[in-house]
Amino acid sequence: MDNPLVQPDPGLFIWTILTFLVLVALLARFAWRPLMEALERRQATIARSLEDARRAQQELERLQRESAQMMAGARAEAEAIVSRSRSDAEALREELKQKARAEAAAIVRNAERQIQLETARAVQQIRQEAIDLSVAIASKILRRQVSKEDNEGLIEETLKQVEAGHGLGR
Amino acid sequence: MQTETPVQEHAAEAAAEAFNAGAVIIEHVANSPIDHPLIHLPTIAGIDFSVTKHVFMLWVVAALVFVVVTTSVRRYLRQDPFVPSGFMNALEAIVVFLRDNVVRPSVGDRWTPTWMPLVLTLFVFILTANAIGLIPIFEVLGLLNHWVFHAGEESFLARLLHGGSTATSNFNVTAALALITFFAIIVAGSKAHGVVQHWKNLVPPGVSPFLAVALIPIEILGMLVRPFALTMRLAANMTGGHIAILAILSFVFIFAEMAGAFVGLGVGVAFAVPLAVGITALEIIIVLVQAYVFTLLTAVFIGMAIHAHH
Repeated sequence: MDNPLVQPDPGLFIWTILTFLVLVALLARFAWRPLMEALERRQATIARSLEDARRAQQELERLQRESAQMMAGARAEAEAIVSRSRSDAEALREELKQKARAEAAAIVRNAERQIQLETARAVQQIRQEAIDLSVAIASKILRRQVSKEDNEGLIEETLKQVEAGHGLGR
Repeated sequence: MQTETPVQEHAAEAAAEAFNAGAVIIEHVANSPIDHPLIHLPTIAGIDFSVTKHVFMLWVVAALVFVVVTTSVRRYLRQDPFVPSGFMNALEAIVVFLRDNVVRPSVGDRWTPTWMPLVLTLFVFILTANAIGLIPIFEVLGLLNHWVFHAGEESFLARLLHGGSTATSNFNVTAALALITFFAIIVAGSKAHGVVQHWKNLVPPGVSPFLAVALIPIEILGMLVRPFALTMRLAANMTGGHIAILAILSFVFIFAEMAGAFVGLGVGVAFAVPLAVGITALEIIIVLVQAYVFTLLTAVFIGMAIHAHH
């Protein structure tokens, strides 16, 4: 065991243990533990930031979706309003047309009735006048001694004539 | 292998006597001899506590690691929001890698904060100790001493120059680190299951008592083999690489002695230095891998003690 490569050296052995244990204690206290804690903290911060970013992204997507929905809704509503007002206008026009037509028809009917009435009244007037005239003529003739029978016969005849004439006139 | 005392050897080198490759290699790999320590300390209970080169290197490594890691972590944490820059990038990558790929898969979420400091310290300590041995600091210092300082043989500087600078190539050092792993395994098991249950976990539940009796020695052997394997793997890997580099560089001097200085120089330019550069590059990988393996196995063993479901 002369070879210095394999010389047992208990002093060195113990020095190694002491040196190493002191180094472990010092480094653990001043370097490793603070560093590990800081790394954990940073990891947590990064994880949290990523989570926040993800949440913000989701929120943004949700808002975009919502606004797109809103836009679509608004557009549909506008279209509905336009089409409704168009059909309303159509209906109104139809109604007005209908009303106008009915009114026109009513006016025509009224005018016809008026004409009928006027005609009837005119005929009545003429008839009255004819009677009056006949009576006047008759009385004039009677004053030139015409018998009662003659008179009546005359009246009758005249009336017939008038009526026939009138009837022909119609 | 015949070893001369460093003093004699240094004198021998200075006098340009016959080149002894083995002795030179050993001198550049092994610890400085305990009877010529850097600092003399008393012997307590039969143990010589004198500070040899490797003890000194451990201190250098520990101080370097502590100062660099602590200052960069402190500076980093003083920022808000803290953004790593420069060295802190590497350190944070190491910390996060060890946490997420080594410690957490082995020991589980619950015990990760408990065992991270030990595993992290093991990694940076072993890595720094391994890496510092690749840098020929003391060889450069030796040259400066040879040409400029001319420090006396008994001066601190001259004593500092003897011995290899890779503390982790000394199996006493790696055994001490493995012992820490060994106890960490026991502490981890005891913390997770209680002291009694941890030892009961040596035997899988539900085996017949007869088989259990057979299993106990095997399990105890396994318990001891793990740190032994850690010890040998790290020390041998660290020693082997250095020996390879030094052996290849020795060719320069061997050929110089045999066939003259120019042949030696030619061998150096054409063969030894390129190959040594290649092996040094390989060593950089080995330095990382061995630090990683030691750390990973420590985490895995701790995890096995915690999740003792056979």
